[in-house]
Amino acid sequence: MYNFNYKKASSRDDAVAAQSSADDGSYLAGGMTLIPTLKQRLAQPSDLIDLADVGDLAGISDDGGAITIGAMTTHATVAESEVVTSKIPALAALAGHIGDPQVRNRGTIGGSIANNDPAADYPAGCVGLNATIITNKRELPAEDFFTDLFETALEEGELVTAVSFPIPDKAAYAKFPNPASRYAIVGVMVAQTGGETRAAVTGASQSGVFRAADIEAALGSGLDAAAAKEVKVSADNLNADIHASAEYRAHLISIMASRAAAAAG
Amino acid sequence: MNEMSNKWIGQSTIRPDGAEKVTGRAEFAADTNMPGMIWGSVLRSPHAHARIVSIDTSKAEAHPGVKAVVTAQDIVDFPVDTPVPLGIQDMRWMCRNIMAREKVLFHGHPLAAVAATSEAIAAEACKLIEMEYEVLPWVIEIEDAIKPDAPILHEYLEHDGKPSNITGTLEHKLGDVEEGFAQADVIIERSFTTRPVHQGYIEPHACLVSVAADGKTTIWSSSQGQFMVRAMTAMLTDMPQSDIRAIPAEIGGGFGGKTIVYLEPVATMLSKKSGRPVKMVMSREDVMRASGPTSGSMSTVKIGATKDGQIVAAEGTFYLQAGALPGSPIRGAAGCGFAPYNIPNVHSVGIDVVSNRSKVAAYRAPGAPIGAFAVESVLDEVAEALNIDPLELRLRHAAREGTKAAHGPTYPLIGFVETIEAAIEHPHYKAPLGKHQGRGVASGFWFNAGGESSAQVNITEDGNVVVTTGHPDIGGSRAAIANVAAELLGIDYRRVSVLIGDTATVGYSNLTGGSRVLFASAMAVTDSAGQVITTLCERAAKIWDIDPDAVTWEDGEARPAGDNAGQFEPLSLADIAAQATQTGGPIGHGAQLNTTGAQGGFATHICDVEVDMDLGIVKVLRYTSFQDVGRAVHPAYVEGQMQGGVAQGIGWALNEEYIFDKDGHVDNPGFLDYRMPVCSDLPMLDAVMIEVPNPAHPQGVRGVGEVPLVPALAAIANAVHNALGLRFSSLPMSPPKVLAALEMPEAAE
Ligand SMILES: Cc1cc2nc3c(=O)[nH]c(=O)nc-3n(C[C@H](O)[C@H](O)[C@H](O)COP(=O)(O)OP(=O)(O)OC[C@H]3O[C@@H](n4cnc5c(N)ncnc54)[C@H](O)[C@@H]3O)c2cc1C
Repeated sequence: MYNFNYKKASSRDDAVAAQSSADDGSYLAGGMTLIPTLKQRLAQPSDLIDLADVGDLAGISDDGGAITIGAMTTHATVAESEVVTSKIPALAALAGHIGDPQVRNRGTIGGSIANNDPAADYPAGCVGLNATIITNKRELPAEDFFTDLFETALEEGELVTAVSFPIPDKAAYAKFPNPASRYAIVGVMVAQTGGETRAAVTGASQSGVFRAADIEAALGSGLDAAAAKEVKVSADNLNADIHASAEYRAHLISIMASRAAAAAG
Repeated sequence: MNEMSNKWIGQSTIRPDGAEKVTGRAEFAADTNMPGMIWGSVLRSPHAHARIVSIDTSKAEAHPGVKAVVTAQDIVDFPVDTPVPLGIQDMRWMCRNIMAREKVLFHGHPLAAVAATSEAIAAEACKLIEMEYEVLPWVIEIEDAIKPDAPILHEYLEHDGKPSNITGTLEHKLGDVEEGFAQADVIIERSFTTRPVHQGYIEPHACLVSVAADGKTTIWSSSQGQFMVRAMTAMLTDMPQSDIRAIPAEIGGGFGGKTIVYLEPVATMLSKKSGRPVKMVMSREDVMRASGPTSGSMSTVKIGATKDGQIVAAEGTFYLQAGALPGSPIRGAAGCGFAPYNIPNVHSVGIDVVSNRSKVAAYRAPGAPIGAFAVESVLDEVAEALNIDPLELRLRHAAREGTKAAHGPTYPLIGFVETIEAAIEHPHYKAPLGKHQGRGVASGFWFNAGGESSAQVNITEDGNVVVTTGHPDIGGSRAAIANVAAELLGIDYRRVSVLIGDTATVGYSNLTGGSRVLFASAMAVTDSAGQVITTLCERAAKIWDIDPDAVTWEDGEARPAGDNAGQFEPLSLADIAAQATQTGGPIGHGAQLNTTGAQGGFATHICDVEVDMDLGIVKVLRYTSFQDVGRAVHPAYVEGQMQGGVAQGIGWALNEEYIFDKDGHVDNPGFLDYRMPVCSDLPMLDAVMIEVPNPAHPQGVRGVGEVPLVPALAAIANAVHNALGLRFSSLPMSPPKVLAALEMPEAAE
């Protein structure tokens, strides 16, 4: 780790102000990704602005048609939330299978989506469920938020404040966890919201989360699991690593999509 | 004692180290600190194989904050032509393992170390060391290392009269296999490979070493043997052992991986040169790159049987990776594989192969799971070919008292048959299986061991008991020893404190390894407690003024016996302790033994799996292990050993493996990429303890810690075969590999 200045922000404005006055400030949420990055000296921010005390960034609210989750809400809180488990059980299940208990009790939805790890679960959850990402400056659809591997539409200093999920008609998430890290080798969120069917895939692509058009077409309005299973996904532009080849990942996309569709019913 | 109505032996008493561990107070090596302490960091080789042309440490030495630099020049050189054995190690290899000499032999091989006022400065200074290498071709896998044109790691080591990467062989012979196979109606021969896997202890290697101005040295370290640490450090730094006090820190797992030193001699030289205490802690990456995993292997096993179901001959060849320096567990593979069976003709060969990967270290029944995987897989096929139930086939050939084993011994009383019978009778063996599910069985053997152990049993002034033994406790030995001491002395186990002594406070005790600790240390404690009881009776006799022979020790008190019975009120431990000064002084005795009579451990496993036909995932649904545990002195710990062994076997069979990249570097040197199972991957692992007490041991103890891993790889592979009709001869059976085999069965090979 290199040296840095540490600041605990007391409010959103305080956090944003601290970030903008720093040479190279970084927000600190659960620290599950950022701290290991610092320890390995892969990043050298001048300042860390800790969001832990910004109380109104955490929490879950239900406004009838949508559920809004504050950026600092931990994965464990989402997994156990009564509102989420009853209204969007697919999202609660997704959060409940991130990493391990330690990671779930520290890691946050804001940190996860800001980081946009290509193997993270929330990006698939957000895109599949057609969520809106809310920042201190604007609101934008999840599909426009996740731009590339570890890249988002966030501008310098822009703070994610919440994510709003419309309540789907049907949804389920199916994940093939990496047997070591438990990140997704492939994860697919299949959801139907207001008549639209989506299949959002994480873990597989070289450019991060994406909607699988051929799978969505096969699923159709009836969420046809058997049809999804038959789709031969192309391995072009898919990740290959020591755990799974691009071909295996391509295969997983149709299987996991099919299983998610069957679970969504 | 086996006949006694035991009060404490057989109780799962509260573990003495529990409260400290759950409250974070247990002191591990990395927790230790000293005034003036500085930090050591290791420069490691960026190449898999290279000759060291020059090494210039001057810039590192001049770097602000740096207090000392050491290289191989500071470590004692044991010339390669003269073996210097220490236990199962050879100091020729040990000195080259802790610090590269003529050549770097694997990526991550230590080259130099720096001590500085902070860990960061030490790491920075390492980068200032200027190295010049002549990079050499390297070789990683066994099959490549034994090719005629393979790059040779050690020119001076020859096989068949030529420099070779084959650096050792071992052979066991019984009967005449050629004659045996001539009688066989069914002969099955198969080849297998397994991948190297790491022990996966949670605590990385760590130590703190202080060399005082007069040379007196104290070492706190995470190891499986403080006496091993003392001996190796003394030899590698040219110090008398009497100048070194090695203190065993609480240990966060070892599984065999902490039976050698990596850091201690280096930290000692850094401390000596700098005059400051030096702490060194490996990162997880260092652990994975440069500490010992167990061997990968390549083996061929051939078994012949008559059509009426008699196995007449068995042959096995087991090539094991030693890593960069000789010394793989070929004895475990070639010796244990056939050891469970009464087979008249056996020929078993182990072959040690070096290649450019980190030197292997012991791992739970070293080598034995590799041997068992091959042998038990072939046995399964033999049973299938003969149409005999696989447990029945094992039962018919099960070694029992009097059976002569190919690796040497004629067995005394052993409980192998009992494990198979219990498995056959168990409801698990008859439970129905669903679609894509399969059941496999396998058995296994581990030598177990005795050897040197010491203990001291002291009575405190208030009549309680402190027992000191010499073995780091990695499997519950303190709890078990408390039970034994309480039983012997007839007192509540809570009145017994069991501590692990350091090299200055307890007599020589060999490693925590070989499933030997409770076996050997219980003998030393029994001997010491016996002497204590004799003394207690003598003191009571003195108080009563009667003959010591007329006093017995029962239920924690001295009672007058014989003619004097009932004449005096019994004297408790506290009563006698209170008068110790007047009756002859402090009460306590020790024993320093070279124990014998350790007997082999046997286990039989049943495993059910389900295969996800779309994904290739093998899921273990149910697992029951049956083991002759001798005497379960502390059943919860024995059960834990059995479960732990199986869990490690599941990892080894299904997912774990070292993966090397194209430059000869480990590509998965951390738990984000090294695939170890966690609790949520496993079902409840049922453990059936079968007690056939070891008659050669006062409490009936047999080692229990290692054999639980031995059958697991084969039991799982046999279950997969049962589910799919496909035999995976190469581990791990990871999902992509299983899926490929479902689509194309030859991919299972
Ligand atoms: C062992 C392990 C296993 C894991 N397994 C999984 C898994 O299975 N699935 C999965 O999805 N994830 C997994 N993760 C990642 C985990 O979910 C982390 O929580 C997540 O990556 C980051 O969240 P965090 O709150 O810790 O963020 P931090 O590490 O604190 O921050 C991450 C990044 O986001 C930025 N940031 C944080 N909050 C905001 C904000 N409100 N606005 C703008 N920028 C912000 C930070 O500046 C930083 O750049 C795993 C992590 C570990 C260590």
